[in-house]
Order: sequence, then structure tokens, then C-alpha cells
Amino acid sequence: MLSMQNISMVYRTDTVETHALRQFNLDVGEGEFVAITGPSGSGKTTFLNIAGLLEKFTSGRYELDGKDVSSLSDAATSRVRNEKIGFVFQGFNLIPDLNVFDNVDVPLRYRGFNGAERKQRIERVLDMVGLASRQKHLPAQLSGGQQQRVAIARALAGEPRFLLADEPTGNLDSQMAMSIMELIQEINRGGTTIIMVTHDPTLANLAGRNVHIRDGRVSDSDADTQLAEVAVG
Amino acid sequence: MQFGPIWRALMRNKTGAILIALQVAVTMAIMVNAISIIQTRAEAMARPSGIDEPNIFYISSIGFNDAFNERVAVEEDLAALRAMPGVVDALQTNSVPLSGGGWSMGLQTEPGDDMDGVGVAVYFVDDHALDTYDLELVAGEFFSPTDIEWREGSSSTWPDRTVITVAMAEALFGEDEWRSGVGKTVYINNNEPMTVTGIIDRMQAAWNGWDGVERTMLVPQRTLFGSSRYIIRAEPGLRDELMPQVEEMLAQSNKDRIVRGLRTMEETRERSYRGDASMIKLLMFTIGLLLLITALGIVGLASFSVSRRTKQIGTRRALGATRADIAGYFMSENLLISGMGVLLGAALTVGLNMWMVDAFDLDRMEVWLVPAAMGVLLVVGQLAVFGPARRASSVPPAVATRTV
Amino acid sequence: MFNYYLKLGWLSLRANPLLSLLMVAAIGVGIGACMTILTVNYTMSGNPIPHKSDQLYHVQLDSWDANDPGEDGYNPPDQVTYNDAMALMNGAPGFRQVASNRSGLVLEPEGDDERPFSVDVRNTWADFFPMFDTPFLYGSGWDDTADTTREPVVVLSRELNERVFGGEDSVGRTVRMNGLNFRVVGVLDEWMVVPKFYDVTNGPFNETEEAFIPFNLAVDQELPRNGNTNCWKPPEGDGFEAFKNSECVWIQFWAELRDEQEKAAFSNWLDAYVAEQKELGRFPRPLNNRVLAVMEWMEDRQVVEDDAQVMLGLSFLFLVVCLLNTIGLLLAKFMRKTGDISVRRALGARRSDLFRQHMVEAGLIGLGGGVLGIALTWLGLRGIEVLFGEFVENLVGLDWVMMLTAVGLAIVSALVAGLYPTWRATRIMPASQLKAQ
Ligand SMILES: Nc1ncnc2c1ncn2[C@@H]1O[C@H](COP(=O)(O)OP(=O)(O)OP(=O)(O)O)[C@@H](O)[C@H]1O
Ligand SMILES: [Mg+2]
Repeated sequence: MLSMQNISMVYRTDTVETHALRQFNLDVGEGEFVAITGPSGSGKTTFLNIAGLLEKFTSGRYELDGKDVSSLSDAATSRVRNEKIGFVFQGFNLIPDLNVFDNVDVPLRYRGFNGAERKQRIERVLDMVGLASRQKHLPAQLSGGQQQRVAIARALAGEPRFLLADEPTGNLDSQMAMSIMELIQEINRGGTTIIMVTHDPTLANLAGRNVHIRDGRVSDSDADTQLAEVAVG
Repeated sequence: MQFGPIWRALMRNKTGAILIALQVAVTMAIMVNAISIIQTRAEAMARPSGIDEPNIFYISSIGFNDAFNERVAVEEDLAALRAMPGVVDALQTNSVPLSGGGWSMGLQTEPGDDMDGVGVAVYFVDDHALDTYDLELVAGEFFSPTDIEWREGSSSTWPDRTVITVAMAEALFGEDEWRSGVGKTVYINNNEPMTVTGIIDRMQAAWNGWDGVERTMLVPQRTLFGSSRYIIRAEPGLRDELMPQVEEMLAQSNKDRIVRGLRTMEETRERSYRGDASMIKLLMFTIGLLLLITALGIVGLASFSVSRRTKQIGTRRALGATRADIAGYFMSENLLISGMGVLLGAALTVGLNMWMVDAFDLDRMEVWLVPAAMGVLLVVGQLAVFGPARRASSVPPAVATRTV
Repeated sequence: MFNYYLKLGWLSLRANPLLSLLMVAAIGVGIGACMTILTVNYTMSGNPIPHKSDQLYHVQLDSWDANDPGEDGYNPPDQVTYNDAMALMNGAPGFRQVASNRSGLVLEPEGDDERPFSVDVRNTWADFFPMFDTPFLYGSGWDDTADTTREPVVVLSRELNERVFGGEDSVGRTVRMNGLNFRVVGVLDEWMVVPKFYDVTNGPFNETEEAFIPFNLAVDQELPRNGNTNCWKPPEGDGFEAFKNSECVWIQFWAELRDEQEKAAFSNWLDAYVAEQKELGRFPRPLNNRVLAVMEWMEDRQVVEDDAQVMLGLSFLFLVVCLLNTIGLLLAKFMRKTGDISVRRALGARRSDLFRQHMVEAGLIGLGGGVLGIALTWLGLRGIEVLFGEFVENLVGLDWVMMLTAVGLAIVSALVAGLYPTWRATRIMPASQLKAQ
């Protein structure tokens, strides 16, 4: 499903070069649930951005669904994000001026679905995250957990095969975090491939596989010797 | 585009939008009314005076002591002027079209103190008038040399014949009947009869703001008012060369008078309409400045809105919006705001126009100006928001995960 | 505290120079446009003789046609006939009263090379000079005996004295005009009246005349008249005598009446005079005399042109657009400071503190706009001068009153524009940062 080989990512500012990823290798199969952990500044978000086609990497090879995506145009990457990938952000990133319904509607609009189809999908995902009754609420009128549920609903509305989450529970208390995790697990059981960045080892343990990033490299991943070798070498 | 959610998002942040819409509305009201004034002025300026403006100039001669024999002087001057090489023809008169100063009288078709007269501008001319002014006689006959009399400054009586313009004939005898005016008797000073012997196509009065500016009568007299004006028509291209020669000739030929006020007809027109021409320029400048300010306001507010929504833009990009989608969002948003503005503006424009028509006696504006101005303002809005929209579209999607 | 707010305001403006500049420019341009037009209107409608404008009265008598009412269907003519002028001069009980009219003569300088030239002249009476407080450089007005003896005396303007006598004290010397030798009795200093209230009929923004001579002398000598003449019926017969006795109006009549009593006495006298004339078969229209003070007369004549008023209206709308612009930009600016404001609130700032802080910032923008506005007004007035030329030359000076008005208007505008954004800023909750991002 996702395959990264020798990806490196260098941020250049006026004075310094930061190597956020170095010779990064990772394969994720269809339907997997991968948790990414690592110390702060190790490159987790950078990896997620590249995986989700939000940023272009400096060198290496990245195949998504067997297709090389490094040379896609801006419009084409937008299309891929829209159709194949769903995002859940640490800060929820709901659009404050739009109500719940319209927020979930955003990716569907870009997808070009007709009104009836959009409505049906939105109602279905909101039902799934348990917020069917809050359609007309504005983000500011919801609790943090509810906001994140809306964000998840929005990520799922387009039925992506691939869900990327960057510390989806980072802003939530542990109880709320647990319920979000359950939701994500349930989604994974439905067949969606999930990559989730998290600080919390207990949450990471709920995933099918753990990838630890240190200094821009995969340093340890359970029972994946090949990757471990590369990381050492 | 997706106006629904844009509209709902807009409604959550009304103030900025309302301000821009109001600004667009007031701009439109000013713009349309200013253009309406410009149109009226420009139309007035475009009216022909009926005379050969490019080749005509004039000069005044004023006798100042007892030795000055005006009758002899005028005859000698006219003979000398007409004999000058390059002069097509010349005559003596009391006033010049569009110059601002002249005589007016009233003519009526029935005698009697209690009958209403039609105001008319009076020019005293001789039998050379058709040639000198390049007028077109459209009915009847013009004056012959024997018709020409002398008029004293204090005289209160009038000769027995006159030639009038088509506009005057229409005012006296009716729109379609003007030709029938030839040979008819009209009354000046309520009771004094004059026969209309001929009708000329057009010749403007001295006052461009007068609603009867086309109503003119020619009277076959040379004047002895102490000061007289000579109208001189030069052959094409020779006017500027001739002017100093004429001035010198008149100044030298008789030392008992002064000559002054040498001026071309072109300059007279320019002075006559200077107020209007300046008003037009001032209004155009105002419109330009106003559009610029409104455009800058849109740029300013749109830039703000872009920077306020940077994260939102990144999120949209992450959710699959293309650059064009983002730019389109801001363009559509502006279209909505400006659209409300021009709708409100249309009402405001009509209101302002009705008030101005009432308060300042202006002409009512032409209706097509309203949709035209709406179109222009929508285009200006789109152009103004184009820059900020492009900046918005270049917000990288990674902003979604990077910005707090 | 105020200094602290000034500093904060300045820092905030500097933080976003382009935007601040845009706001200052918006206010400045609006103020500039308004003030330019306002200055022209202010001068047009200015009081030309403030210290005694309420004692000087323009006199009108309704001597017009029974069948055809005068101006606008009800106003008496703006000038008077010769006979009425003389009757008023001889009998009316005004403290001072003056009949005058416009004329033009030809002046022949001494020396053979000098060419004769024409001069703008006012035919008037001795009382003209004290009544209108004309400033004298040399000599004085003529003695009122010259009015009756018809002595050829003249008062020259400063410019004409420069031209003819090189600026010397010419009192007692002679100038020759239209074949007559006039003795110079006085030379005026610079004398500008805008509008030229004592003769609006012949142009409210004309220059004052270059020479003043006795009215009676001009009439006796049948010197040419140069002003507007209106007749509702032709003179009975030819010649100047017939014209003098006609119903033609061509003379401006002014009276100086120092208090209500004098004014009442004068009006009563006028009514009695008209009644007497009606007996003689004149004044066919109903009694309709007017005695209007200077500013009433200016108002009546609508000396401020419609064009100027249209422009004034449009320029105020223009200012409105500029203000809307500024409100929008300030609002955006203050709303961007949400973080800053809520932190300040959390640190103990009261609403009123924030209100003052942001109003000071708006005021600073206004100050900048005002200064820019003055500069633009100056430019605008030069532009008007170039566009309209000599017609407005007397109208486009910029004085202190207008400069202060500009800055004042700018600051007030900016504060008004700042009110709503500031109010919105003070509504920001100390904790607002925590929820909405
Ligand atoms: N836009 C950028 N420009 C320059 N350097 C950047 C940029 N974004 C990230 N970095 C640097 O790249 C490195 C990796 O950052 P990244 O955000 O991926 O870390 P992270 O693992 O997500 O950390 P955290 O757990 O704190 O979120 C860091 O050293 C960071 O400073
Ligand atoms: Mg991170």
C-alpha cells in the first residue's frame, strides 16, 4: 500500500539545514494499523506530511498504491489526498466559521459529489462518530473530544483507504483519548489503513505495529528485521 | 463554485463583508452620478456653435475721445479688413457666440404688453454675415447691402426685418411649422413689428448655460456704441498669422481708439466651457481615485482574511483542495460581497440621483449606467482580490500540521 | 499612561507598516478631497466684510413689469433704476447710502510712446469708502462736495497706481481717461473682497475695480457703462436722457444702517416712497421691497455655485468611503491582535484600558492622515487652480482655520472609524485563545 525507500527530507533556512528524515524506509500494507512514536523533533510529523503528500521530499522513492507519487503535479496530489487519504490533526483543524455539517462537507465538495450524495455521506459518518444531533453546531460550541470526532468524520466522509493521524488525542484527556482510540480501531477494522503518530505508549500498543523514529530514521519496529538493518546501516 | 458554505462562513464574519459592501455601494453611487454629470456636460460641450470656429477670431475697438468718428472708423476698418490678404470676410457686431456677454430681447407672434415673448439673443450684423460666420441659410433671403442701417447707442427702435435661427423659428411657430415663419411678422418690445426674411440653420447665443442658447436673431444694423467688435474669418491655416497683423493694422490706422481683446473663437469656446471641462476632469479624477481606494480596501481586507485563515487554507489543501479551488474560494467570496454591494449600490445610486436632480436641477441619469457600473465594480473587485487570492492559493498544505 | 499608549500605538503601527500606510493614506486622501472642496466653498461663502456685514444692506425695489414678474417669479430686480437711485440718495434716511455702477474707461498715459489702455471703473459716491472700509495707501476718498459739484476726481487702486505712477504717492496728480483730466485724491492699498458682495450682479468673484470716480460726473459726461442692464420696457425715446428716465435697472444700491431703528426707519421710508410712486403710475407690482444684510444677500444670490455644492456632497461621500475603508482595516488589524489583547486582559487590563489604548492608536492614524490631508489639500487646490484658471484664483488660499480643520476632521474621522473596531477588541475574552484557534 505505502512504500518509502531512502526518503530524506532537508529543511533549509537561511542559516541551517535540518535533516528531518534521513534514508527513511518504511512499508505499510493494506489494512494495517501502524503507530509512529519517537522523541520530539525526531521527524514524525515530517514523515506524516510526506506520506500524506502535504510536502515534497528531498530525495528517495515513495510509492502509494504501487504508483510513484514524487513527480505528480500539485493538482494531481490534491486529487490523491482528496480521494485516497484522510487526515486527522492534533489541533482538530476544524474551520471555525463553518458548522459541523459544512465542515464534514468540505472534502466532499472538492470531490465533486452531488448534493444528495454529500448529504447522505455526511449523515452516515456523523452517525458513526455519534454526533448526528450536532450538525448545526459551530466548532466553538463543541468539547475537544467532540471536535476531534467531527475531524475524524470529515476524514472518513470521502471513504479514504488511508487515514493519517498526527497525535489525534494530544489535546484530549485520557478518557476522551480512549474513546477516540476506540473509534479509530473500529475504523481500522472496517478495512482502512491507518498510520497514527502518538506520544503515548499505551495508545501505541493498541496499534497492530509500532514504528519508532529517532533522528529521522526508523530505529526499531517490532519484528521487522529488514527495516532494523537498514536503520543500523 | 460552492456559494452555499462560502455564504454561511461569510455570515459568521459579517462586519468586514458589510464594510466592503457598503464601500462598494457608496463608490457606485458616486461613480454613476458623477458619470451622469460628465455625460450632460460633455453633451453640452459637443453642441456646435454653427459658425466656422477654427478660422474665426475677433478684436474690440474702443474710441476714447471726441475726435473719434465711429461711423467713419467702422467703414474704414471694415474696408481695410476685407481687403487684407488671407481674410475671407469680416463684419462689425456687438457680441460673440459663447463669449458670455451679449444682448437678449423677447419676440412674440402677437402684439400686446400682456403677451408672452420668447427670449432671443441679438446680434447686429451686416450683409456679410453668411460669409463671415459661414452660416447656412435654410429658408428665405438674407440681408442685402441696402438693408443695413446705423444704430445709435441709446436707440430703442428696431429695423423692419430680421433673420432668425431654426431653433427660434421653432419656438415661435412650432416644431414642424418653422419654415412657414419666412415672411411672417414678429413683435419686439411687445408692439414693434419686424418681418422674418430668412432662417439660418444654427448660431449659438453668448451664454452656453442658457436653455435658449440656440435661439438667435440677426439684426441688419451697424452699431455706434462707442465700442465695437470685429469678427474676422481667415482662410484655413492663416488665422494665427493674420491675428497680429490685424491688431497692428487697427492700432495704427486710428489713434483715437484702442484695440483690445484679440481672441480666437477656439479660445472663446475653451473659456466658455472651462468650468464644464474642469468639472469633467475633476469628476473623472474623483472616480479614478475612488475606485483605487475601494480596490485598496478590498486588497487590504482580503489580505487580512487570507492571513487569518492560513491554517484553514492549509487544512482545505490537506483535504484535497487544489490551488485553483482556494483561489476560487476567495474570488467567489469577493463576488458575493461585491454583489451585495452593487445591489445596495443600485438603490443608493437611484436615491442620490433623485436627490441631485431635485436639489441641483440636474438631468436624470440614463438607466443603463446602473448595470454598467455594477459590472465595472464587480470586475474591479475581482481584480483587487486576485492578488490576495493567489497568495492564498500558494499556502502550502503542510501548514495544516505545522501551524499552531 | 497616555505615553505608554502612544508607544504601544506606534509599535503596533510599525509592526505592519504597509497596512498602517494604507490606513493613513485612506484617511489622508479622504480628508484631502473634502478639504479641497471645502476650502473653495468656504471662500465662496465667506464673509467678505465680517466686522460690519450686519450693518450693510443691499436695497431692492420691485419696479418690474405688472405682467411679467422678475426673477424666479417673485424676486424684485437686483438693481435699481436711475430715478429711484437718485431719489434714495437725496431722501432716504440711511446713516450712509451709496448708489454705484460698473464702468470701463480708456486711460491715456502721459508720454507719446505709451499706448492707451482700458481700466475697470466704479462710478460711486464719497460715502463708498468709509462705508465699505476701503484701506488707503495714500490720500483718502473724495469730499462729498465733489459728488454735487461733479468735480473730476479719482481714487486709484494700488495696481493702477503702480502702473501709471510707478507706485509713488500720486495724490494731486492727474490721470487722463476718456478725454477728461481726473485729479487723484487717494490710492487704495491692496483691497480684496471675496465674494465681491457690493456687485454680485456683474460677477461675485471679479477683482475690485482699478479706479473709482463720482457717479454724478459719469452720468453728466455720459461716460460708457460696462455692467449689466435690464429693461422690462424700452426707454421712451432715444438718447441718454430717455435712458435715464426709463425703467431700466443698472445701479447697485447699498445702505449702512447701524441698528434696528435705523433699519426700520429706512424700510418705512422706502414703503412711503413706493406708495408715492404708485400714485404717479409707476411700480405696477405689489409692494415688495427688500433690504438684505450682506450675508442674507449672498445667500439670496446663491453665490456658492451648484457645481461647488455638488462637489462638496460628492467629496463627503468620498470621505465616507475612506472611513469605511479605515474601519475595515482597523477592525482587521485589531482582530489580529486577539492574542495580545486576551493576554493583556489575563494580566489585569480593564476594558477601559484597552479601549483607551486602541483609541490612541486610531488617533495616531488620524494624525498621520491629517498631515497627509493638508499636503493633499494644498496639491488639490493647486490642481483646481490649474483646472479652472482665473475664475478661482481668489478662492484657493489655504489658511490656518482650514489646516486645523483638516487635522481635526482627520482625527475625529479616525476616532469615529476606530470606535467599532475598538469596541470589538475590548469584547475579546481573556480566555478566548484557549478554544477557538
Ligand atoms: N518548516 C520547517 N523548516 C525548518 N525546519 C523544520 C520545519 N519543520 C520541521 N522542521 C524541523 O524538522 C525536525 C522534525 O520536525 P517534526 O515536526 O517532524 O518533529 P516531530 O517528530 O513531529 O516532533 P513533535 O513530537 O515535537 O511534534 C525538527 O528538528 C524541526 O525543527
Ligand atoms: Mg509533530
